[in-house]
Amino acid sequence: MACVEDDLFGTIFMADDRYHIHGYDEGFEEGKRQGWHEGRNHGRIHGGKLSAEVSFYRGFALTWKYLLQMNMDSKARKPLKILEALTGMIQTFPLEDPQNQELEENMKQIRAKFRQVCSLLHISTDFNGYVNSPGQLSF
Amino acid sequence: MKDTLDLLHRLSAHPDSRCWYVAWNAKGTLLASCGGDRAIRIWGKEGESWECKCVLSDGHQRTVRKVAWSPCGNYLASASFDATTSIWKRKDDDFECLTVLEGHENEVKCVAWSPSGNLLATCSRDKTVWVWEVDEEDEYECVSVVNSHTQDVKHVAWHPTMELLASASYDNKVCIHKEEDDDWECRATLEGHTSTVWSVTFDPTGQRLASCSDDRTVKIWKESQPEEGSSSDVSWKCVCTLSGFHGRTVYDVAWCRLTSALATACGDDGVRVFKEDATSDPEQPIFSMSAHVPKAHNQDVNCVAWNPKVAGLLASCSDDGDICLWSYKSED
Repeated sequence: MACVEDDLFGTIFMADDRYHIHGYDEGFEEGKRQGWHEGRNHGRIHGGKLSAEVSFYRGFALTWKYLLQMNMDSKARKPLKILEALTGMIQTFPLEDPQNQELEENMKQIRAKFRQVCSLLHISTDFNGYVNSPGQLSF
Repeated sequence: MKDTLDLLHRLSAHPDSRCWYVAWNAKGTLLASCGGDRAIRIWGKEGESWECKCVLSDGHQRTVRKVAWSPCGNYLASASFDATTSIWKRKDDDFECLTVLEGHENEVKCVAWSPSGNLLATCSRDKTVWVWEVDEEDEYECVSVVNSHTQDVKHVAWHPTMELLASASYDNKVCIHKEEDDDWECRATLEGHTSTVWSVTFDPTGQRLASCSDDRTVKIWKESQPEEGSSSDVSWKCVCTLSGFHGRTVYDVAWCRLTSALATACGDDGVRVFKEDATSDPEQPIFSMSAHVPKAHNQDVNCVAWNPKVAGLLASCSDDGDICLWSYKSED
């Protein structure tokens, strides 16, 4: 009998503690679920944007390469060379590996090459939606 | 301070606006100025006075931030907040706009010609430095877009003899760029300033560099060769910091090719000249202030430029719209 009484009292005394642990576990699971969801969304949006940008550069580079290759003009040589470099950079870009340390640096280099090509071809870099551009204000 | 800095002329160069920058041509006969009024003015000496010879007012839509003469003196480049760089060709006593270089996403902050005149560098708030090549037909081609800064790039300056380019930025750093397999790369990063670096200048030999900053100091950097067997590049280390002299941001610094004097333009409206103690250790040089005009202008001084042919002739310009010409005389 003594032992049952002990348990009964034990259950009452420890209730606070048990519910606390239970609540914590439940909250933790819920938080994990929400965090996972948010992270997934964030990754999907940013990954999507990055892929769209890189794919745009690839399409741009291949199209211009094709157009310039038909042109025997000596002036086409320089932009062709830079386009070659740009496609090379896109090919080795770690698009499948979002954790890659080089990702950001590589992206910066690709953007710079793209702008150089645009300058050589005398075309505007104003491709809204594909290419990101910063805000205003200066001194 | 036994040296003197005397005012020779005060020119109302860009009235009711700011005068951002002044540049001497290689012969030292003409001074170009630019300002918030979107105009470029060319000044020349007529008898004893300095007169405006020419106004280029239709080239830019916004503030013209900097101007630079080509080494041959026949071309003038202007960098503007309208995101373009214009190239002007001298024709008799006038200038015509030869071409407009586009490519920067926003405000172009500076432009500079390489010593050979075959390369042009521009930098912008878009954080990039662009290097352009000039061919015989006056065509400009972008050779490289360099991304070594993380913020607004304020200034670019070429080494006096080699194809080496220094850039200063809002990210508190100075980068030294060099060509590498058809592309330009940052080969050395000079870290030490605690705020925006506004300008850089090489000494006459190109072995040292002075940088000035919003942290109210001027730093002198010296090139140091890598140790034997080391694979690392040439590095630059800070050998001297001039602090305690400037009450506000130091906007510009200029190293005279003829006298080796160092002039600064400061946000406290003052112009100062520093001289190196000839007996000091090259690894730890000592610079002292040899002349100081506290209220050289009524507002911030934006730029100082030494005449390349007349020793001691210094031009300064300010937010008050004026250009001042000074005569610096050293006792020894």
